[in-house]
Amino acid sequence: MAAVISASQLSKYFGDVKAVDEVSLDVEEGSLFGLLGPNGSGKTTMIRVLTGQVKPTAGRASVLGIDVVAHPVKVRENIGIIPEQETPPSFLTAEEYLAFVGKVRKIAGVKEKADWWFEFLEFSEKRDVLCKDLSRGTRQKLMFAQAFLHHPPLALIDEPLINFDPVMQKTVKEYLKEYVRDGGTIFISTHILEIAEEICSDVAIIHHGRLVHTGPVTAILSRQRHLADFFLDAVGKGSHA
Amino acid sequence: MRDLFFAMMKEEWRLHATIFGNLSFALFPVLIGIITFMGSLALPFLCEIIPGPALSFTVHAQFVLLGVMVGGFGLLGQEVMNRRFGQASLLAYSSRNLPLSDRRIFTVFVVKDTVYYFVLWVLPFISGIVLAAPWSGITFSTIGTVSLTLTLSFLTGLAVVFFLSTMYTRSILLLAGIVAAGVLLATLLLLTGTVDPAYLFPPYALSRAFTPVLLLYSLAAIAVPFAIAILFMTTEFPGSEKHFPDRFTPLASRLSRLRSGPTVAKDLLDLRRSGGLVGQPIFSFGLPLALIWVTLVVLARVLPDTPLLINFAGVVGVIGATIYTWVTEFDAIAGYTFLPLGTADLIRSKLVTFLLLQPLTLVAVLAGAVASGDYGSLLPAAALALSISVYAASVMVWLTGLWPAVMVYDVRVLAASMLLIGPVVLGLIGAASINTLYAFGSAGLLFPAYLFIRGSYRRWEGWEKAFT
Repeated sequence: MAAVISASQLSKYFGDVKAVDEVSLDVEEGSLFGLLGPNGSGKTTMIRVLTGQVKPTAGRASVLGIDVVAHPVKVRENIGIIPEQETPPSFLTAEEYLAFVGKVRKIAGVKEKADWWFEFLEFSEKRDVLCKDLSRGTRQKLMFAQAFLHHPPLALIDEPLINFDPVMQKTVKEYLKEYVRDGGTIFISTHILEIAEEICSDVAIIHHGRLVHTGPVTAILSRQRHLADFFLDAVGKGSHA
Repeated sequence: MRDLFFAMMKEEWRLHATIFGNLSFALFPVLIGIITFMGSLALPFLCEIIPGPALSFTVHAQFVLLGVMVGGFGLLGQEVMNRRFGQASLLAYSSRNLPLSDRRIFTVFVVKDTVYYFVLWVLPFISGIVLAAPWSGITFSTIGTVSLTLTLSFLTGLAVVFFLSTMYTRSILLLAGIVAAGVLLATLLLLTGTVDPAYLFPPYALSRAFTPVLLLYSLAAIAVPFAIAILFMTTEFPGSEKHFPDRFTPLASRLSRLRSGPTVAKDLLDLRRSGGLVGQPIFSFGLPLALIWVTLVVLARVLPDTPLLINFAGVVGVIGATIYTWVTEFDAIAGYTFLPLGTADLIRSKLVTFLLLQPLTLVAVLAGAVASGDYGSLLPAAALALSISVYAASVMVWLTGLWPAVMVYDVRVLAASMLLIGPVVLGLIGAASINTLYAFGSAGLLFPAYLFIRGSYRRWEGWEKAFT
């Protein structure tokens, strides 16, 4: 399998803070790759560097074979992104926002695709409501829809399930698994280990900006009962640490 | 209250200082002080040309304008609280998790704004006058009076904007009614000669004749609108879940020939639905220009050879350039960074929106022509205003990228923009004063404007501070 994300000695410093510190990793096509780490460990910065939103301080990275420093906009053209904090613009309706994303991404038949997402994520009745008036969960649905509207071969998603109720979490998890079965690749950042254990094929653990583990989930579960136990050991907080 | 006040002050300082460093921001009031100091040294010469009362009126009017601008920043449109509190001040969210009411927070917020911008703008200005006193011939008793009346002028501007924007959040009709009634009353009083016109501007009247009654009148003219603004402020807007048909798709189709069509369509909808298309032209454009017009009319009486409309057009051009700040301040740039758009794409889009709103500058010049009756200078004045507006905006884009409202407080940016815009505007007004047709020469500014804009695409691509 070819690597759709490739990082080599990637670092991002904000002043004295080493948010990402010499991280090297490869994400293979068709995997559901989880980036795990405690709060402030560098997960979000890693995604922002890989999607060309911020430039790395050192090292190299390519996404779908495109250099993220030389061609950041081209990287974002070809992938889907759910950022951790950003919300859709306040004064467009949900429907208008998807139309806006469709125009920016030059997606054909965006209306039908948007209709499908409204139906699938069960928020059709909110399509004509201004984004600022939507609940946090509905905004998250909209952000999810915008990331997959053009059916990209790769999506980098940052804590995508955090605002969903258990029913919607199940729907979205099933969608992600099916998406990968159909040949897509997902790079998901989360600190909800139960989700990672349930859906991810491979994980990497980042702590204080450094990668402390990378490998298949099955390999971890063959040694320990739960991913959480392994994770706590890896970040020095477990009973075996 | 005290703790919240100091925390908000610290927050406002850090908001600015984190963008361009503590030192650079700390130098901003120093620069204001130096400029005033130099201006004060020239006062004896100025007084030979312009009579004292006219000069005093001009300076006081500028301080009202300053208050209007400071108060108007962010307090625009129906989403007043959301935008002002959501992006500019995190502490303002305290009512959600701490036992503090919205009204109390807003009161502290108003006091914080008053003190913060007083220290940032007014105090350095007064310090400049004080330092120049031994050479300018201004007595210390005059300085004491002027310090007070200028401060009151600044607070009057702040109070009026807080009052009007609170009325606006309640009802646009109410705001329109209050403005219309105010204008009508002022016109009636002026036409019938019932009162001295100076009494319509209490701090100025106080500067002319310092009496306890006038001082109380000036204080009341500030306290009453502030109190009403605080009493009637609201963060709860009726019908909070608004439904709209899809206006974006047809608008984007109409703009499809533009490279930035979708983002421009989004900007226009944002402006319209946020109330910015009503609020911004009133508070950030119409009101300042009305004050400037009155100042220029006063100046024209003592300098009869000055072409009023041309002077006004020059100022309209400079104020017209600030429309660029409107179109950049209502949405967070970080909201675009996960889409395939670069900073250059966004600058291009904001500039197109800016150009689409430029008819406002032409309307202002037309209003000036109607008020002055000088229709002969209308076309050159319009050309001058438009060219200066585009040029000054291009300088702003070059110096501040997508963050003009924040970066204006960087002392280097302020100094550079004054150097790049000031002499050009004064030179063109001077040339047009000799022959109004020379104003058409201002079209030559479009070439450097083009170069500034081209350069800014490269300069701001990948600037990360706003996203981190």
